Amino acid sequence: MSKFYRNIYDALSMLYGLEQDLNLKHFTPNELKVFHTIITQSHEHDRSVNITDIVENSGMSRSTVYKTLKKLSGEGIIDLEQSPTDKRESLVILNSLS
Amino acid sequence: MKDFLTVTFSSFVLSVTLWIIWFFFLNFDANSLSDLFPSLFYLPHAARVLCIVYFGYKAIPGLYLAELWGPLYVIPGAYGIEPLLTPLISVLSVPLALETLALLGFKLGRNIESPLNKRNYKHIALITIISAVFNSFLVNLYVEGSSITTSQNLNDVLTFFMGDIIGTTLVFIVLAVILKPLFVRNNKINPS
Repeated sequence: MSKFYRNIYDALSMLYGLEQDLNLKHFTPNELKVFHTIITQSHEHDRSVNITDIVENSGMSRSTVYKTLKKLSGEGIIDLEQSPTDKRESLVILNSLS
Repeated sequence: MKDFLTVTFSSFVLSVTLWIIWFFFLNFDANSLSDLFPSLFYLPHAARVLCIVYFGYKAIPGLYLAELWGPLYVIPGAYGIEPLLTPLISVLSVPLALETLALLGFKLGRNIESPLNKRNYKHIALITIISAVFNSFLVNLYVEGSSITTSQNLNDVLTFFMGDIIGTTLVFIVLAVILKPLFVRNNKINPS
């Protein structure tokens, strides 16, 4: 490896360490769309949103929304809880960013 | 020679790019040139630190040319201060920081055993802070004619210092976010 590229590699290693410690999230376009919909709908209705709200307002299919929510939940960004009023629905709870 | 030209070109391009982005975000108004000096987030300091730490002192000519290019050709008199020596002092603040650390026994290397490891962002942060101290103090000392006495001068020094640190931090975080797909794809990158 030439000296120039070895230096670039060192710089990338430094940035990689920074990224790991800051635990910066990198959303895919679908995750970004779902996350944006959750925030705007929660703010608009001043309550937790359910999956149907997200499907209706994001323009994405139910299966894509469901898959994306599972991923966001796995990363600890949201929690999914069963709705107390409708057992077939899950409420999406945003976790704090701490 | 080829390596020198590659380093000079890369340093020039990185520094000029950051200068243009910084300039764009300032929402520059031609009637308020003095607003540019000093700035609370000076992005090009990140180019000084990155290029000198990773490419060595041969990055200095490229960085100096880039620092001259903006204030001399794009917006003449952009900083409202002497445009030839002040950029040189700013660029040399990073080698000065590295030499100071080397004198104290912290020599720059790339291994985990190195007292100053260029793969460790905390060590790069230390170099950034020390170089920001030198840059803010020496440039203002030069501009004010070898004395920093009034509270306005001290305020300028502090703004310079904070501007360099905030600007460099912003650039590092944005680069880490932008380059994340590269880290994921090439999981051989392993900071030691």
